[in-house]
Amino acid sequence: MKKKRYLRWDKQSATTVLYPVIFGILLLILWQTQLLHKLLGADTFALPLPGRILRIIFDNGPTIIENIKATVMVAVGGLFFGSILGYLLGIIATVFPKWGAGGLSIASAISAVPIIAIAPILNNLTKDFSDVANVRSMFAKTIVVTITCTAAMSINAYRGLNELKPYSLDLMKSYAASKLTVFLKLRIPNSVPYIFVALRVSVPASIISALVSEYFAEFIIGVGRQIRENIVLAQYATAWAYIVVACAIGIIMYGILLAAEGALLKGRK
Amino acid sequence: MVNVVNFEEEFKERDASLPRETEIIIENLSVNFPDKDGGEPIVALSNVNLEIKQGEFISLLGPSGCGKTTLLRTIADLQEKSSGTISVRGLSPREIRLQKKYGIVFQSPVLYEWRSVRRNVCMPMELLGMPKKDRTKRVTKMLELVGLMEFGEKYPHELSGGMQQRVNIARALAIRPEILLMDEPFSALDEFTKEKLHEDLLRIWQRTNKTILFVTHNIQEAVFLSDRVVVLSPHPGRVSAIVDIDLPRPRPIQMKETQEFNALVSKVRNSFEGV
Repeated sequence: MKKKRYLRWDKQSATTVLYPVIFGILLLILWQTQLLHKLLGADTFALPLPGRILRIIFDNGPTIIENIKATVMVAVGGLFFGSILGYLLGIIATVFPKWGAGGLSIASAISAVPIIAIAPILNNLTKDFSDVANVRSMFAKTIVVTITCTAAMSINAYRGLNELKPYSLDLMKSYAASKLTVFLKLRIPNSVPYIFVALRVSVPASIISALVSEYFAEFIIGVGRQIRENIVLAQYATAWAYIVVACAIGIIMYGILLAAEGALLKGRK
Repeated sequence: MVNVVNFEEEFKERDASLPRETEIIIENLSVNFPDKDGGEPIVALSNVNLEIKQGEFISLLGPSGCGKTTLLRTIADLQEKSSGTISVRGLSPREIRLQKKYGIVFQSPVLYEWRSVRRNVCMPMELLGMPKKDRTKRVTKMLELVGLMEFGEKYPHELSGGMQQRVNIARALAIRPEILLMDEPFSALDEFTKEKLHEDLLRIWQRTNKTILFVTHNIQEAVFLSDRVVVLSPHPGRVSAIVDIDLPRPRPIQMKETQEFNALVSKVRNSFEGV
């Protein structure tokens, strides 16, 4: 009886996957055959061929993995702390409704400050956090990601905790349910789909802010930083290798998110 | 603590010969809503007097804006009254609500979409801290009562509107309320489903001996179901008549074609004022 609806393979989902894949393969063919270079007026030095980029990835496996680890730690760490902090802010805003909505607009205003502006400031603020450059850089980068993820989660959590079906609060009241019970039995379960709405924004955002904050970090590590370093050294092929890796991280993390969402929300509409 | 459910006692057939005690007394009840722009308050209910006996099936009938839902919500303690008194079994509506003696069926089913049908029906019992074993038994009994035995593991969105409303009724009855308050429960359903649910509701009422207050804007529905129809008229909301429905029970659907039935429908229709 129970269908795994998140894995259902119908015509529509087939085309939503198939068309982008066909487009990607077409692009790769144009790229490898250098037709793309002719179209863009580029050369193979600035835009190396896919084969060469792949070879660099395989040749530098251990180094690349080291950098991936640093980036993923920052992205996932910031995503984790930011989402929890955001959810807590959503709860606080719900408990104190008079201040709640206004407070959250301030939170979203802060998140609108560009990462490029926040990152150097945080580097400076956290310079006494540790004697080890790597540790204090990781700390600063994680905070940047945390800030980015907090805003998305707090606004969506607030909506999820408050956009209740008509009469559902009355129903709880008719059973003389306490505020805590209303939270546990109604508001929090109601907010679960909204958590995923937030994560759909903040998972890609966490990776982007991790990459960008690495640019400004004191310690040289991370996929984003390697892109920059290699461009500075005019090692475009290596830079492209890291760009490919960055894309892969993003796609894999988003894929994990979608799988988790499908598994957790399978009972819902 | 919650009493362990005694089904035999709960589902005994009603004995019509027993005298019924007065359960709800409403005297000079008025409810005003403050005007949002700071003007004169809107009078939703004005000077309502009503006595309801234990085990009665009462309909609150009227057009929109007549205050029928407000009256129900005030009895349920979901709405503050402005003046007058409501006494339910000698207590205030709030005390009755805190004792969890009300079962409320809202206009929309208000099922939690993250819970299966069984767990939706179970929800109020969880709030009451009923032991798990009793809950499971009770849920099964309730689903049987509303004819949804095979649908326990389904999720609300997999059910039709009529089935969702049955779950709603099962949930309301789950904690054995003394008084069932129903706010236009069938107004969103099609005519066929509605008739089926009318029969089911009367059967459940017959078996459980609850007092039912049933809000509706459908005259036939009110006449078919009720012992008495309280006719409310708008501007301001007030009771303009109380019509006794002395049709015999059990009432088959065919009763709707009889002369007596139609006479009562006209009588009710003619008692509206200012519509």
